[in-house]
Amino acid sequence: MNRLPTRRLGSALALAAVALALAACSTQHYPNTTFTANTDVNVDVNALWNRILFMGTLVFIFVEALLIYVVIRFRARPGAPVPKQIHGSHVLEIVWTAIPVLILIPIAIPTVKTIFKTQAPAVADALQVEVYGHQWWWEFRYPQLGVVTANELYLPAGKTVNFTLQTRDVLHSFWTPGLSGKRDLITNKVNHLWYTPDAKLTEAAFNGFCTEYCGASHANMRFRVYTVSPENFDSWAAHQKTEAMGSPALLAAQAAADSAARRAPARAAVIPTPAPAPAMAAGYVFPADKMGAHTIPKTPIPASITYDDNLLAQGDAARGRALITNPANMAKASCLTCHVIKGEQAYVNDDVARGPNLTHVASRHTFGGGLFPLDAAHLARWVKNAQIMKPGATMNTFGVGQYSPMMKANVTVGLTDAEIADVVAYLLTLK
Amino acid sequence: MATTAAPAPAYAAAHAAGEQTGLWSWLATVDHKRIGTLYLWTALGFLFVGGIEAFIMRLQLMQPNGQVVSAELYNQLFTMHGTTMIFLVVMPLSAAFFNYLIPLQIGARDVAFPRLNAFSYWVYLFGGLFMTIPIFFNAAPDGGWFGYAPLTTLQFSAGLHIDFWVLGLQILGVSSLAAAFNFITTIINMRAPGMTLMRMPIFTWMSFVVQFLLVLAFPAITIALFFLQFDRFFGTQFYEIAAGADPLLWQHLFWVFGHPEVYILILPAFGLASEILPTFSQKPLFGYNVMVYSGIMIGFLGFGVWAHHMFAVGMGATADTIFSMATMLIGIPTGVKIFNWIATMWGGNLRFTVAMKFAIALVALFTIGGISGVMHSSPPTDLQQTDTYFIVAHFHYVLFGGSIMGIMGGIYHYYPKITGRYMSEKLGNWHFWLFFIGMNMTFFPMHFSGMLGMPRRIYTYDVGQGWETFNLWSTIGVFFQAAGLLIFAWNFLKSRKSGERAPNDAWGAGTLEWSIPSPPPEYNFAQLPVVTSRYPLWDLKHPERTADIAHSAPDQMTITDSHAVPMHEETERKSAKDLGIPMPFPTIKPLFAALFMVIMVGGLVFIHAATLQVALAVMISAAALFIGTVYGWLTSPLE
Repeated sequence: MNRLPTRRLGSALALAAVALALAACSTQHYPNTTFTANTDVNVDVNALWNRILFMGTLVFIFVEALLIYVVIRFRARPGAPVPKQIHGSHVLEIVWTAIPVLILIPIAIPTVKTIFKTQAPAVADALQVEVYGHQWWWEFRYPQLGVVTANELYLPAGKTVNFTLQTRDVLHSFWTPGLSGKRDLITNKVNHLWYTPDAKLTEAAFNGFCTEYCGASHANMRFRVYTVSPENFDSWAAHQKTEAMGSPALLAAQAAADSAARRAPARAAVIPTPAPAPAMAAGYVFPADKMGAHTIPKTPIPASITYDDNLLAQGDAARGRALITNPANMAKASCLTCHVIKGEQAYVNDDVARGPNLTHVASRHTFGGGLFPLDAAHLARWVKNAQIMKPGATMNTFGVGQYSPMMKANVTVGLTDAEIADVVAYLLTLK
Repeated sequence: MATTAAPAPAYAAAHAAGEQTGLWSWLATVDHKRIGTLYLWTALGFLFVGGIEAFIMRLQLMQPNGQVVSAELYNQLFTMHGTTMIFLVVMPLSAAFFNYLIPLQIGARDVAFPRLNAFSYWVYLFGGLFMTIPIFFNAAPDGGWFGYAPLTTLQFSAGLHIDFWVLGLQILGVSSLAAAFNFITTIINMRAPGMTLMRMPIFTWMSFVVQFLLVLAFPAITIALFFLQFDRFFGTQFYEIAAGADPLLWQHLFWVFGHPEVYILILPAFGLASEILPTFSQKPLFGYNVMVYSGIMIGFLGFGVWAHHMFAVGMGATADTIFSMATMLIGIPTGVKIFNWIATMWGGNLRFTVAMKFAIALVALFTIGGISGVMHSSPPTDLQQTDTYFIVAHFHYVLFGGSIMGIMGGIYHYYPKITGRYMSEKLGNWHFWLFFIGMNMTFFPMHFSGMLGMPRRIYTYDVGQGWETFNLWSTIGVFFQAAGLLIFAWNFLKSRKSGERAPNDAWGAGTLEWSIPSPPPEYNFAQLPVVTSRYPLWDLKHPERTADIAHSAPDQMTITDSHAVPMHEETERKSAKDLGIPMPFPTIKPLFAALFMVIMVGGLVFIHAATLQVALAVMISAAALFIGTVYGWLTSPLE
C-alpha cells in the first residue's frame, strides 16, 4: 500500500528540481543569483560548486533510487516466506565506507585549492575600499581617492578591489550574491575580501545584503553595487571627493582656483599649475535607467506617516541649507551632529558620525540602507519620522508633533512640513 | 495543561493492580514511564507553540513586503522558533523516549535516580514556560537562537528580551545535564543480566552516545552564557566591545556546544529508526556493530567541526581547511548508516505501517540534508550559502526530515506500548503524507531562494528579487504541515480512548520492552529477564531469526540477581506490593525544588525589570525555599 505514490512523488519532485535548476540560470528572473561568472573569485567558486552539485546529484539519485527499489521490491506480499536473516557483512561495510571517501576526495582537493587561492592576499595595486557596517546602513570609503559614501558602491570593471571590512557596532556580513561570497564584519577585528569584477561589466547594478543578523532592521540593511567603466569610475570619484554644493568651503575653493588661474600665466614658469577647479557639473552617476527593476526599492511607505507632497514644490534650498547648517537652528534640525556634509560646519567627523555622509547624497539612487528610492517624497517622510519608516532606526524624528518610538514621546521642537520641504530641497541639491 | 491529562483507559487494568491515578499521581510521580509521558505531552505542546511561530513567519514571508507582523515581533518569532524547536521540542521529545524506553530496553525497573529524573522534567517545564511566556508581552528573546555577541550585550539589547533567553537556557541546561548523568548511570549499572553493551538495543546505544554529548557539550554553552549573564547583570566585560572584547569568543564557545547539539538532536531519531526498520522488515538490523561504531564516530567527530559554522568570520585559510576536511569526514559514518538501513530492508518482508513510513522518510530526507551538508562543508561554496535560505533548507532536512520524522515514527511505534492502544493507521497515513509533502514543499524551494540570493532572518524582502515563487510555495507547504499536525493531535488524543487494543508485543519486535504488558506495570518487569542476544523476544518467538548470531545460553551465565529468569513474555499483571518489589515513593519535592530553582535563577530579571532590592528579595527567598526543599528531599527515604 502507498508504494506507487512514493514513486510518483519522487519523480515529480526530481522533475520539479531539474526544472527549477534550469530556470535558476536566468539572471533576468533571478537577479540576485549566485550562479554567475561576474568575478574571478565566483568563477572558481562556481566551478567548485558544479563539481559538488554533480557528485551530490549522483549520490541523491543512487540512494533515493535504491531506497525506492527496496521499498517496492521487498514489500510484504501475502504468503511471503520468512526473510533470510542477515546480520551484516564485513565486505559490504568496507565497500560503503569507501564509497563516501571516494566521493569526498574529488571534492576535498579542489576545495583546498580554492580556499588558498581565494584567501591569498589581494594584488598590490588593487583598489582599496573600506567597508564599515552600522546598524543598519553601509559606509564605503576609498582611502586612495579620499571618497566617503554610503549604501552605494562604485567599482571599476576589470580592476581588483580589496575590501577592508569593519563594523562600528554589532556583527554584520557583507554580501553581493551576484559578485562573490560573503565575509563577516566582526567588532574589534579587520576582515578582508577581494575580487575582480569582469571587465565587460561596465554598466551593471547588483544588490547587496547584510547576512549576519544585526537587530531590528537587519532585513533593511541593503546596498547597491555599480560596476562601471574605469573612466566613469574616475569621473565619479573625482566629483565625490569635492566639497558639498553651495558650501562655504566649495565656494572658497572655487574663488581661490579662479584667482590662481588669473595669476597663473605670470608664475607658470616657477610654480606647477594648480589642480583644475572642482567642476560645478556633477561627475558620472550610474544612470537610473540602467539599474534594473530589482535594484530600485519598492518598499511601501508606512500608512501612519502623512505628508502633503504639494508642499515639496515650494521647498527652498537656501532656507533648507540655513535650517541644517545655521547653529541657531540646532534645536530643531540637529542633522550635522550625526551627518557630515563636507565643506559645511562640522560637529562630527566621519569616524564618529552615526549617519551616512551626505556630501553628495543627491547623487545616490537609494537611501535608508537601500530601503527607499531617493526622491523628494521619500526623503520628506524620512526626515519627518525615520523611526516609523525603518524599524529600530536611531535617526531622530524631526517632524514636530510626530511620535518617536525611540523617545516614546511626541516631538515638541521639530520641523514643520513646510520646513521639511525646504530641507529636502536642499538635500536634493547635494549632487 | 496537557501534561496533566488523565491516563489511558487501559490503565483500568493498572487500577486493579493498585496503581495511582489522578492529578496528584502525576505531580508527585517518580516513575520513569510517567515522567517520559509528561515529557511527551509537554514537548508536543511546545511543538504547537513552535509550529505557530513558524506559521506566522511563513505568512509574513508569503509575499514581498509582508505586513503581518512587525520587524520586532518577527525577530522574536524566529528566535523563539529556533530556541523552542531545539530546546523545548526535539530534545525533550528525545528525552521522552530516553525516559520511557531506556529502562524497558535494558530490563530495569526504573532509572538510577528516579527523583532526579522528576526534577529534570519539572525544570524543563518551568524553564520552557519562563522563556515562552514573554512573547505574549512583546518581550521574548530576539537575538536569534545563536545569540551572537555583541548584539546580546546590554549596549545593544537593553530590554528584558535577552535576559529571558540567557537565564532560560541556563535553566534548561540544568535539566539536560541532570538527565544525562542519570541515564549514563542507568545504562552502565542497571542492565539486565546478560545484557552486555553490545547486546543493548540500538536506540539505547544512540541514547548512550547522546548523554555523553550532552555532558561534554553543555558546559561550553554554560560558560558562554555565564559570561553573558555576568556582563548583563554584574558589569563584567567578556563581550563588551567598548572594552575591547573579541566577539568571536562567543561564537567559538557557542558552536563547540552547537555542533554536537545537532547530533544530540539527530542520534535519538536515528536510534528510533533503527528500531522501527528491523521490526517491519522482519529482519535484524544490518551491521549492528557498525551502526554502534558509526554513532560513536559521529558523536566524536561532532566535537571537531564547530568552526564550519564560522567560515565567513575570517579565520584564515588553514583553519578553514582543517574544519572543512573534518566536516567532510562526518559524511562517512553518516553515509554508512544510510547504507545499513537500506541493507536492513533489503530482502525483508516490508510492512508499511505509519511508523515504518516515517522511518523510511527519515532515510530519504536525511540523505538530502546530508548532501547539502557536504555542499557547505566546502568553505568557498559555503560563503555563497551561509546565512541564506539554502542553510535553512539544509538544516530543516536534517532536523525536520531527520529528527522530527524519526520521532514521529517513534511515537506511532511506541504509542501502543505507552497507552495499550494503537493509534489510527488511517489518520496516521494522512498525517504522514501531509507532513512528507508539506515538508518538501516548504523546504525544498528554500534551496533555490537561498542560492538565488535570499538572506536568512529577514522579516521582509522587496518585490522583484526573484524569490516570490519560492516563498509562496514554502508558505503553501506550511499549510500541509499544519493540517498534518492537527490530524496527528486528533489521532493522538482520541486513540487513547478508542484505539484498537494492543498486546504486549504490538508489532512483532525483538527487544525487551515488548515482552511486558502494554502499558507496562509500574515495576516494568515482574522478574528481571536474562538476556542472551540482541533480540531476546525473537529468541523466544522467532528463534530462526536470531539463530546465527552469537548467543550465550542462560545456564552458562552467572546470574547474580535472584529475580532473573530466562527470557519469557509476561502476561500477568500484579501490583508491586503483591510481588514484593520495592518501588520509590512518590514525592512532590522534585517539583518544588525545580520551581524554586527556576524562580531563584529567573529572579535575576528583576534587576532590570524592577530594582536590585526586589531581585534580591525574590532570589534569596527562592534560594532558601530551594535549599529547604532539597534538604527535605535528600533526607526522605527513596523507597
